[in-house]
Amino acid sequence: MLQVLISGLSLSAYYALLALGFAMIYSTLRIFNIAHAAVFGAAAYSFYILYRIFGFNIWGSLVVGVAIAAIFGLLVDIFIYRVLAARGGGTFSIFIASLGVASLFEAMALLFTHGTPLVAHTGSLLPITIGAVSFRPLDILVISSVAILYGVLFYAIMHTRTGLEIRALADNHTMAGVVGIDTNRTRTAIFAIASSLAGLAGILTVYDSGIVPTTGLNLLFVTIVAVIFGGTRYLFMGALGGSIVMGLVTAFAGFFFPQWVTVIVFLLLILLLIWRPQGFFA
Amino acid sequence: MDYFFFILSVICVWTILSLATNLVIGYGGLMTLGHVGFLAIGAYTAATLNILWHVNFYYTIPIAIIVTAVVAFASILPLLRLDAFYFGLSTLGLNIVITDVLQNVGPRVPGAEGLFGLDLPALMTSSIWRLAIIAALTALTVYLSWQLVRSPFGRSLRAMRDQPDAIESVGKSAKRYRVTIWTISGGLAGLAGALYCTTLSYIDPTVFSFLFSFNLLVYIGFGGLASILGSILGPTLLIVFGEALRFGGLPSQVSGPVQQSLFALLLIFVMVFRRQGLVGKYDFRE
Amino acid sequence: MISANKLEYRDLYKHFDGLMVFHHVSFGVPAGQITALIGPNGAGKSTLINMTCGVFPQDGGQIFKDGRELRRLSAAGALDLSLARTFQNVRVFSTLSVLENVLVAFPDQPGDEPWRIFGRAWKGVEERNREQAMRFLERLGLANDAGRRADEIPFGSQKLLALARATATGADTLLLDETTTGLEMSRVPLVLDFLRALRAEGRTILLVEHNMDVVTDVADSVVVLHGTVIAQGTPQQVLHDEQVIREYLGRIYSA
Repeated sequence: MLQVLISGLSLSAYYALLALGFAMIYSTLRIFNIAHAAVFGAAAYSFYILYRIFGFNIWGSLVVGVAIAAIFGLLVDIFIYRVLAARGGGTFSIFIASLGVASLFEAMALLFTHGTPLVAHTGSLLPITIGAVSFRPLDILVISSVAILYGVLFYAIMHTRTGLEIRALADNHTMAGVVGIDTNRTRTAIFAIASSLAGLAGILTVYDSGIVPTTGLNLLFVTIVAVIFGGTRYLFMGALGGSIVMGLVTAFAGFFFPQWVTVIVFLLLILLLIWRPQGFFA
Repeated sequence: MDYFFFILSVICVWTILSLATNLVIGYGGLMTLGHVGFLAIGAYTAATLNILWHVNFYYTIPIAIIVTAVVAFASILPLLRLDAFYFGLSTLGLNIVITDVLQNVGPRVPGAEGLFGLDLPALMTSSIWRLAIIAALTALTVYLSWQLVRSPFGRSLRAMRDQPDAIESVGKSAKRYRVTIWTISGGLAGLAGALYCTTLSYIDPTVFSFLFSFNLLVYIGFGGLASILGSILGPTLLIVFGEALRFGGLPSQVSGPVQQSLFALLLIFVMVFRRQGLVGKYDFRE
Repeated sequence: MISANKLEYRDLYKHFDGLMVFHHVSFGVPAGQITALIGPNGAGKSTLINMTCGVFPQDGGQIFKDGRELRRLSAAGALDLSLARTFQNVRVFSTLSVLENVLVAFPDQPGDEPWRIFGRAWKGVEERNREQAMRFLERLGLANDAGRRADEIPFGSQKLLALARATATGADTLLLDETTTGLEMSRVPLVLDFLRALRAEGRTILLVEHNMDVVTDVADSVVVLHGTVIAQGTPQQVLHDEQVIREYLGRIYSA
C-alpha cells in the first residue's frame, strides 16, 4: 500500500511537469494545447537519439532535448496558432489544429520507430529498499527537481516583469493588451516555459520507463484531468494539487484494477466537467 | 471486383456517419469529438444480436438504430450545460469509456477477444447485393438528412446554432433542438454501425479507437460543415485517397502512418486556411 | 384599481454583485398603447426587459402580465405568455437569410417537428407564413434583402429585421430595445408607421428609446428611469420635467 503511494507520488511528478505548462497556456491564452503531447515526444525522441544513438553526454543531451522542446512548442504557436487566429479562427479551431499536430507527431513517430518502445537508460536503476518500500534514486531526483522547478518558477512569476505580464494575461487577455503588454512577447515566454517543462517530462520518461508514440497523449489526457481538477484560479497550487491527486489515482487504479485505469480516468474527467468544471482549488 | 464493392460499402458507412456527425456539429452547433462511440454501440448491438443470439441480421438494423438513439439521448442530458470546449472533451471521454468498457467486458465469442462469424441473410452474402442494400440505406439517409435541414425544423436548428439566446426569444427551447438532433444523429450512427459490421470480418473495440474519431473529424472538416454534399465528398475522396496510398507501392507497415500524417496535415491546413472545407456553409465555432 | 395595464411593475429592485441598478421601480404599461422607457445609459432599461422576459429574476418586487404575477419565467417561456422582445445588440440569426429570420419566429410551424416533415400539412402553413413575412419586410423596406444573409446587411437593417422577427411571433406585448439607435434618419418614419400599425392592431409596446423625436411622435406615455422612476406621464409632461431635463435630457425638447 505504501509502495503504491510512493509510485503514485513519483507519477505525480511527471504529471506536475506537464500540468503546469498546459495550465499556463490554457489560463493565459485559452488554448487547449493537445500538441503539448507532441512536444513531450519530440524531446523524448531527441534525447534518445542524442544520448543513445550518437552517444553524447547525458547532461548535454538533456539540455539540447529541452531546448528542442521549447523551440518545437514555439514553432507550433507561431506558425499554426497565431496564423490561425489572425485568419479569424477561434479557440475551437485552434484546439482541433492542436489535435492535428499531436496526431501528426504520433504518426511520424510510428513511421520511424514502428511502434517499438525506446528506453534511454543504460544499466539498471537499482532501487533502495527501506522497510516495506522500495524507491529509486531516480524517483527522488525527479520529485526533487519538480519541487525545485515549481519553486523557482513560482518565484519568477511573482517577482519578474515577464511573470507579471503572464499573470496579467491570465486575469484578462484583452485588458492586458490595452495596458501595453506586448502579448506576443509574453506569449512566446509562456510557450517556451511550458514546452520546456513538457520536454523535461518527456526526457525523464524516456530515460526511466521508455516511450512509444502514444505515450505523450496518454500522459496528457491524465494531465488534463489533473488541470481541470486543480482549476486554473491558482496556477501552481492547482497544477500541483491536481497532479498529486491524479498520480495517486492512477497508481492505485493501476495496482487494483489495471484494465480499468483508462475508464476511471475518463469517467473522472466527465464527472468533473459536469459537476465541478472550475476545479477544487478555486 | 469484390474489393471494389468492399471499398464502396466502407465509403457508404462513413458517409452515413459523417452525415450524422455533421448534423450535430454543423447544424446543431454541438462540438462532438467522440461520435465513433455511437458507431461502436450500433455495431456491437447488431453483431451481438446476430452472432450470439442468432437474430436475423435484417432485424438487428432497426434495433441497433433504436438502442444507439436511446444511448445518445441519455448521454446528452447531463452534458447540455457544458460549453463547447468541455462538451467536446466530454464526448471524447465518452468515446474512450465506451470502447474501453467494450474491451474489458464487452460481448465476445467465447474464447476470443471480439465477435466474428456474422450470419448474414442469403441475399447479403453476395457482395454486390450487400453493397446495393448498404447504398440504398445510405441514399435514404442522405434524403432524410436533406429534407430535415430544409424543413422549418432545420431552419430553427440553424437559428439556434447561430444565436441560442435569440431563439429563446421567439419561443423555442434551445435544449429541445439539441436533444432532438443529437438523438437523431445517434440513431443514424447506430445504422452506420450495424452496416459497418458487414464490412468487417472481426469486430473488436480496437476498431473504434480515437484514431477513428480523428479520421471522422478530418472527413467532415475537409468536406465542410453544415453541408450534406460535404458529408458525402469528405469521406468519399479521403477514403479513396487512403486506398490509393495503400496501392501506391508503400509497404503496409508504412502506409498507415503515412496516411495518418497526411490526414493530420490536411486537418491543420483546413483549420488554418479554409475552415469551411470544400463546400461547407459554417465555420467551427469560436 | 382594476388595471388596464398589460404589464405592471411593482417596487422592482435589481443589483449586480452589490452594485445597485435600480430600486423602487413601479409603473404600468397600459394595454394597446405605446409606452416609452427612457433614461441614461446603464439605468437598467435593458435589464428591465431581460427581467420581464425571464432571462434572470428580479431581486425584489413583482412583475405582472395581464394581472398575473410572473414567477420563475424561463426565456423560452416568455412567448407562451405572449411576450416578445428585441435585443439591444440585435442578435439576428447570422447565417440565415433575412426572410428565414422572420420565418423562424412564427408560432404556427407544423414543419418544426421532425416527424411531421414528411406530411403535406406544413407546406400550406409555411406558404402563408412566407407571405406574411414578406408583408412585414415590405413595410420595413427590407423586401429587396429578403434572400440575403442576415449578417451581410447593414446594422440599421438588422435592427428592422429584429423588429419584424419580434412582430412575427404574434405576441400581444412587444418589448423593443433601442429600435432606432443606429438607424439612418431616413428610415425612422418606416419604424414609426410600423409601430402605429401595431398599436392599431391592439398590441402593447414598451419602447426603450434614446431618440426624443421618436418618443414625442409615437409614445402615448413615457417613463423615465434613473436609479428609480423619476418621472412618468405624457411626453409633454415628462420632457418639461425639471429633474428629467437636469439628469438626462440636457435641454427642453418640444413635445
